[in-house]
Amino acid sequence: MKRPITAALAVIGYVIMIVPIIFVVATAFTAGSTLRFPPEGISLRWFDEALGYEPFIEAAISSLGLAVLATALALLVGVPVTLAIHRGKLPGKGLVEGLFLSPLIVPELVVGLALYQQLMIGMDLDNFSTLLVGHTALMLPYAVRVTGASLALADPALEEAARGLGASPLRAFFTVTLPVLRPGIFSAGLLSMVTSVNNVPLSLLLQGRDFRTLPVTMLDYVQQSYDPMVAAASTLILAATVVIAVIAERTVGFAKIFGGINQ
Amino acid sequence: MVRLLEPVPQPVPSKRTPPRKDADISRKSAFLLVPGLVLLVAGFLIPSAAMLFAPPDVPASEIFARLGEMLTDPYDLEVIGRTVGLALAVTIICVVLGFPIAYWLARSPSRWSGVFLAVAIFPLMLSNVVRTFGWLVILGSKGALGQLLVQLGIVEVAPQLLYTKLAIILGLTQLFLPLAIISCYSAVAQVDPGLDDASRGLGGSRIRTMWSIVIPLTMPGIVVAATLVFAGSVTAYTTPYLLGGSSQRMLSTQLFNYASTTVDWASASATALIMTVLVFLISGLSSLIGRKGATS
Amino acid sequence: MTAAAELIGVTQRFGSFTAVDEIDLAVPSGKLTTLLGPSGCGKTTTLRMIAGYSAPTSGTIRIAGIDSTRTPPEKRNLGMVFQSYALFPHMTVADNVGYGLKLRKVPSAERRLRVMETLELVGLAHLADRKPKKLSGGQQQRVALARAIAIRPKLLLLDEPLSNLDARLRVQMRAELRRIQAETKLTVILVTHDQDEALEMSDAMVIMNEGRIVQQGSPQQVFPRPADRFVAEFLGYENFLTAADGTPLTIRPEHLHIVEKGHGLDATVVDVAFRGVDLLVSLDVVDPSGATVRLLADVRSGATLTPGSGVTVIAPDDHLVSLPR
Ligand SMILES: Nc1ncnc2c1ncn2[C@@H]1O[C@H](COP(=O)(O)OP(=O)(O)OP(=O)(O)O)[C@@H](O)[C@H]1O
Ligand SMILES: [Mg+2]
Repeated sequence: MKRPITAALAVIGYVIMIVPIIFVVATAFTAGSTLRFPPEGISLRWFDEALGYEPFIEAAISSLGLAVLATALALLVGVPVTLAIHRGKLPGKGLVEGLFLSPLIVPELVVGLALYQQLMIGMDLDNFSTLLVGHTALMLPYAVRVTGASLALADPALEEAARGLGASPLRAFFTVTLPVLRPGIFSAGLLSMVTSVNNVPLSLLLQGRDFRTLPVTMLDYVQQSYDPMVAAASTLILAATVVIAVIAERTVGFAKIFGGINQ
Repeated sequence: MVRLLEPVPQPVPSKRTPPRKDADISRKSAFLLVPGLVLLVAGFLIPSAAMLFAPPDVPASEIFARLGEMLTDPYDLEVIGRTVGLALAVTIICVVLGFPIAYWLARSPSRWSGVFLAVAIFPLMLSNVVRTFGWLVILGSKGALGQLLVQLGIVEVAPQLLYTKLAIILGLTQLFLPLAIISCYSAVAQVDPGLDDASRGLGGSRIRTMWSIVIPLTMPGIVVAATLVFAGSVTAYTTPYLLGGSSQRMLSTQLFNYASTTVDWASASATALIMTVLVFLISGLSSLIGRKGATS
Repeated sequence: MTAAAELIGVTQRFGSFTAVDEIDLAVPSGKLTTLLGPSGCGKTTTLRMIAGYSAPTSGTIRIAGIDSTRTPPEKRNLGMVFQSYALFPHMTVADNVGYGLKLRKVPSAERRLRVMETLELVGLAHLADRKPKKLSGGQQQRVALARAIAIRPKLLLLDEPLSNLDARLRVQMRAELRRIQAETKLTVILVTHDQDEALEMSDAMVIMNEGRIVQQGSPQQVFPRPADRFVAEFLGYENFLTAADGTPLTIRPEHLHIVEKGHGLDATVVDVAFRGVDLLVSLDVVDPSGATVRLLADVRSGATLTPGSGVTVIAPDDHLVSLPR
């Protein structure tokens, strides 16, 4: 190795990123009942338990439903915003875009506190509706920014060309603009879904008796009891995430998806 | 075979559509903003502002009184100091580890670098609860690291690793290193590798080339990385909650405590205000540095 | 005369692909040597091995008589001008040129003096405080040259330095480079795929093909005596025919004469292209071996030739080059 320092730092970095994940998987297969290492024998019993544990299953369904709804809603209101910003003749476009990206800057925990206090307690809104409002607001920047990026790449002359060939504005939108936007919408959708399903800080204060999200449920469980069932549940989540990552990589390339939002 | 000369039906100009006017278009595009704006204002801006400045049943003055107290009270100051200190430490570690990794990923001709890039980015999609849980297994009282230290005879009893600053630093580094790598990676990828060669040819060692060519040219990316990591560390909840517990309170766990356990709205709002100001400060500072870099 | 650089049996492989294949080369001191060859023949690879950016798979590289095969680039004290120029975008022109001197810990007063001196040599002293992005392509090229020269290198390596310039500037810079080489008496290795550039500028030229050196010598030696068909084609020999004994022969279009009748080769005019001062005539010629070959003749305009007419083509012996079979 020609660069011993770089190599050493890289090894440390990858160990910190990856080793804990490996330990989660290893513990999930233990036959024992503690998070002891090395595991006491191999079994699948904790996967059985995790899949049979009502609160986790219910929360998983709730989380997925919430993510799908919030993502759809965010795209539904976010894509028109993108179009207005990139194709319309708005005064102060930068300001409008900044406004729609603002949920990214305010700490999620703070937003969660605000919604809890103002909507759930102040206006007596039920916790599912509050979660939906919060998650949609949080996904809005993704919808606007990520689809905007693919719109910015497309030549506005495409639509003009379609119009010049006799297409009505609506037809030009559906036959030219929408296909151009599709990869952006896909990326934004994927990013929103993943972010929503994994979210803790925003959802934390907005839990109710009959609607709870999965990560917060798991967090509570870990706090109370210290057994490998959470490791098994985590391993299942990991497997699902790998599948989604592979799909993302095959379709748009996830370096692209994650590179876009931070710029 | 397409017969080019055959007449095609012509679009019929509609009598009802008036000629395009710019004012007309801008009115239409403003209309596209309405649903988004309603959601943003009602679901985010108003509640946030109301919470920070007018929580229910609490006069705004009380929030500022609490804020004043917090900035003098030793216990609250410790929480603030711990939050800022840990965030700074994590930021430095993430840049120091992330930049060389990004440099290597961007410059290595190896086929494997693509795989390693994917491995570095993948954790961003994985639940923070899952990622942090791994440290419980490693650092817990019966965990792997403590057992290893005992087995190696370095210590007699496994030391308390969980609920320490070290645990939080490890957890947050794991969380934010991928972000640091991506930001640095896109910056390094934009620097012509020929510049490294040119510097070496003129007599610059690898390290010298790094300092006077690569790092100055990738500074904007490094600043973005540092900003993201710092802001993320100040606001993260899962990691300090699981790995810091109540003995290593940070602003986020403290805020949850005020809002949920003690239901002390004034303190919760004051804590939220401090957290928000910290994040805004670092973002402002970073765009200031960015602008200065762009003009010089 | 000692060689400024010597390559002995140098090979570079990338996986199973051999980019440079056992080349032997002695670069004469104080002269301008060109490495000439088509795209992908291994010129850049050779230059990068001389500069130390990649180690040869096998073979030895000597610089000023010292084995430098494994010496890192920063220890070789060579000046290199990259095809992309590779100017440091965050430094001014003066800082770019002074970078190597700074690394050599030249005191700042002397450094400024030498930077300005070098910039004057390339005619850019008035742009010392500009950033590279605000310069034209030609100016950037000169900065890159100045930066390489400023360290007083043992060897100046230029990788296609003129190929990013427009046609007029390129011709102008050839003379400029020659002047700078003469003034500094530097040993220069210049990579190019343009034979006119090589012929015009070199003291010595080295022609490469598929990782091997196929011919070397002065332009005066090489041009009239291409060693094989590849070199002949590369240098603009377009006519290939066969002697009575089967030896392959070649001759340049401008050396063929066309007469109405005489002692020579029987030919039929196929096409006549008017080119201003001259005519380019395609002919079907019966060569000494009896085969009919298509040849090109470059003759002064004024001659009246019509396609289809029979003529005689004369190929003077002193211009016919025989090639290996
Ligand atoms: N790092 C590398 N890995 C694999 N193959 C390489 C590498 N560098 C060069 N090659 C191959 O080696 C051959 C020679 O490359 P080189 O760059 O030396 O050509 P060149 O003569 O400079 O061509 P050009 O005139 O186009 O610059 C090419 O076929 C190229 O594809
Ligand atoms: Mg080349």
